Amino acid sequence: MIRFTAGRLVLFAVGLLVASALIFATLRLLPGDVAQVIAGTTGSPAQVAALRAELGLDRPFLAQYLDWVGGLLRLDLGRSLVTGTPVADEIADKLAVTLPLAGLSLAVGLVVGVPLGVLAALRRRRPLGTAASIGGQILAAVPAVWAGMLLIALFAVTLGWLPTQGFPLDGWSDPAAALRALVLPAVTIGLVEGAVLLRFTRSAALGALDADYVRAAAAKGMTRDRALVRHGLPNVMLSVVSVLGIQAAGLVVGAVLVEQLFSLPGVGRMLVADVGRRDLTKVQGELMTLTAIVLAVGFVVDVVHRAVDPRARERGE
Amino acid sequence: MRTLPLLAAVTALVLVTAGCTSSPDPTGAPDDDATVTVGLVLEPTDLDIRRTAGIALDQVLIDNVYQGLVGRTQDNEIVDVLASSHEVSDDGLTYTFTLAEGVTFHDGAALTAEDVVWSLQQVADDDSLANHGDLAAVDAVTAPDESTVVITLSRPDSALLFSLTGRAGLVLEQQADNDLSTTANGTGPFTLEGWTQGDNLRLSRNDDYWGTPAAVGGVVFRYIPDPSARINASLSGDIDVQTAVDATLRSQLDGVDGLTVSEGRTTDKYTLAFNNAVEPFTDPRVRKAIRLAVDNDALIAATGGSAVDQGGPIPELDPGYRDLTDVDAYDPDAARALLEESGQGDLDLTLEYANVYPAAIGDVLTTQLKAVGITLTVEQVDFSTWLSDVFVAPSDGSPRDFQLSMVNHAETHDFGNWADPDYYFGYDSPAVQGLYAESLAATDPADADEALAEAAAIVADDAPAEWLYTTTTLTAIRDGITGFPTSSTTTRLDLSSLAATE
Repeated sequence: MIRFTAGRLVLFAVGLLVASALIFATLRLLPGDVAQVIAGTTGSPAQVAALRAELGLDRPFLAQYLDWVGGLLRLDLGRSLVTGTPVADEIADKLAVTLPLAGLSLAVGLVVGVPLGVLAALRRRRPLGTAASIGGQILAAVPAVWAGMLLIALFAVTLGWLPTQGFPLDGWSDPAAALRALVLPAVTIGLVEGAVLLRFTRSAALGALDADYVRAAAAKGMTRDRALVRHGLPNVMLSVVSVLGIQAAGLVVGAVLVEQLFSLPGVGRMLVADVGRRDLTKVQGELMTLTAIVLAVGFVVDVVHRAVDPRARERGE
Repeated sequence: MRTLPLLAAVTALVLVTAGCTSSPDPTGAPDDDATVTVGLVLEPTDLDIRRTAGIALDQVLIDNVYQGLVGRTQDNEIVDVLASSHEVSDDGLTYTFTLAEGVTFHDGAALTAEDVVWSLQQVADDDSLANHGDLAAVDAVTAPDESTVVITLSRPDSALLFSLTGRAGLVLEQQADNDLSTTANGTGPFTLEGWTQGDNLRLSRNDDYWGTPAAVGGVVFRYIPDPSARINASLSGDIDVQTAVDATLRSQLDGVDGLTVSEGRTTDKYTLAFNNAVEPFTDPRVRKAIRLAVDNDALIAATGGSAVDQGGPIPELDPGYRDLTDVDAYDPDAARALLEESGQGDLDLTLEYANVYPAAIGDVLTTQLKAVGITLTVEQVDFSTWLSDVFVAPSDGSPRDFQLSMVNHAETHDFGNWADPDYYFGYDSPAVQGLYAESLAATDPADADEALAEAAAIVADDAPAEWLYTTTTLTAIRDGITGFPTSSTTTRLDLSSLAATE
């Protein structure tokens, strides 16, 4: 177990290093730079050149990269090229919106996906189960942005239950207001994620229904439903946990889209704005943070999966 | 079934978080402490008014937080602000300003003549500051006594006073050492309360304001880039005012109880610029043919109908405006004939513009140019890419590498761009440059106006661009909010007379 965890940790670190090189190199391919953006359409070439030198953009790429990675090792993400504020502070600010959003979305996804997935498996070839699977198929095909627009139209504009967009100005100091602002965005992401989970849970549950231990339990007199719930579900959940690592990446992508749609001040929206401004130090910091989170979730899922699955423990070295 | 989880999930979360947000019925009484929430489109890159370009910054900070000796109304009239009066000598070389009394900065310090001299001198001397070029004619700035500032010019500059209503004329405190990127210390009726980058910028009333204090407690600018999200925010009451309503979505707000949509004039000039320095635009027949091929009225209708045909380089609110819409007005047959004559019967052209502007413009232009035999390829890119692809001149001195571009030139009084052969238009007309210099040197505003009008007529006739339209801007205002400007809102939002009822 320790060897396994250590191995995954090394993979985690190597993943981050590779990501840092890819992120840095890809961003240098973008046309335009921050000095030109600051100077805008009124600045002179001399002003742009001066800004470039001041911001260190005229130095060789390798020197810039090594500087940045050196900072990363000290957990220093540097400063915004535009405002000069520490990147880590900005990200921490925005994570206060994005992390709860991701958590809530995941919760919605699980609440929608798992019970309906099990239901779809138990009642397959019957109206209820078929409806659940078809509903899942349709939801999985709906673009999150469109789902979000429909939700806004119904719950915020027509019914007026929830805000159409935005986040309270004073953040989490009024938790109820903050939570209300996250409901529709979380449902938007959660439904799409939930649809994926539903299909996954359904096939895992169908597999379990055919498994010997469920049949054995049924032979001992349990109903098939009870046998699945008592003995099959732990195995189904194991599969669901392992797919959650992959879903984490989906949550991040969902957050970028949905934060735009709902004007939420989260990491996703900041990322889009910073790419537009060519504030590359900030973009690098944001992408590294998101990468680290996705990799960390994957790492935790791997370790947890192994810890709770006795088969994986025995098979391993 | 598929709506069941959706309904269930939302209902559950609503129940969990319900409560606490019910506003009392409006009483109609003025509310001195109201906070007015304003939905805006573009957020400033940074708050450094001295270094960071972009009208998104002027829009919120000038007039409200920072002030200059003179300012401008929403119809571009010049008015005294920190100066109680100003006088221009007959030879146009000496500008004398008498300072208003009792002016203080937000940090409590009193405004001195030295602050004014230092502020202007800084911009005049330091070529890395924004709008440095506006003060090129300034020879000296002096303070003969505590309440007088004198600007001496080396040559007359009829544009100076208007320039002073912008960045170049703002007065900052010499002794202050606050970080201009994130804070502001001005003299205006509002103080900068805070800026949450990527979401909002907040102002509060300056209770120690030297003039009449603001009638509201504060203003929150919410940056909502998505047009339909802004509409929804207005409908649900999340914002009190929405500037620059997307004209194609206007019908969603018209007739809504408690909301009024007002129309206002702007200098937002949607300009289809040709790269005049390269083939095939060096041939005036090609340029004119494109102007003739564009049906401005159809384009305006397709983008929501909230604009007026412009015809020439100068919009109605700016000096030198004359109606030039008859020059090369829509005539596809004449366009085809000109293209035939120039031997360019089958042109392939590329239009590159920033993705902050509607895609519909590119679509309509593609169709209209197709009708005269021009195949248009449209590329929408982000603003930074546009800057490097189109706007910035290659450092080796070669011509810029683009064919057509489309920009909303929102700045007012910017005719000078047509008299600058190095600008991205690549338009080099000695006659226009001469007339523009003449307009600057004029000491009588009427002469300046006449010279500009003459220059504009030449530009329109030379067809270095097609002026698609000037926007009529739409502002959606909740009932009970008064004093919100409705014209020129892209460049300025003077909120000193804003008021709200409960």
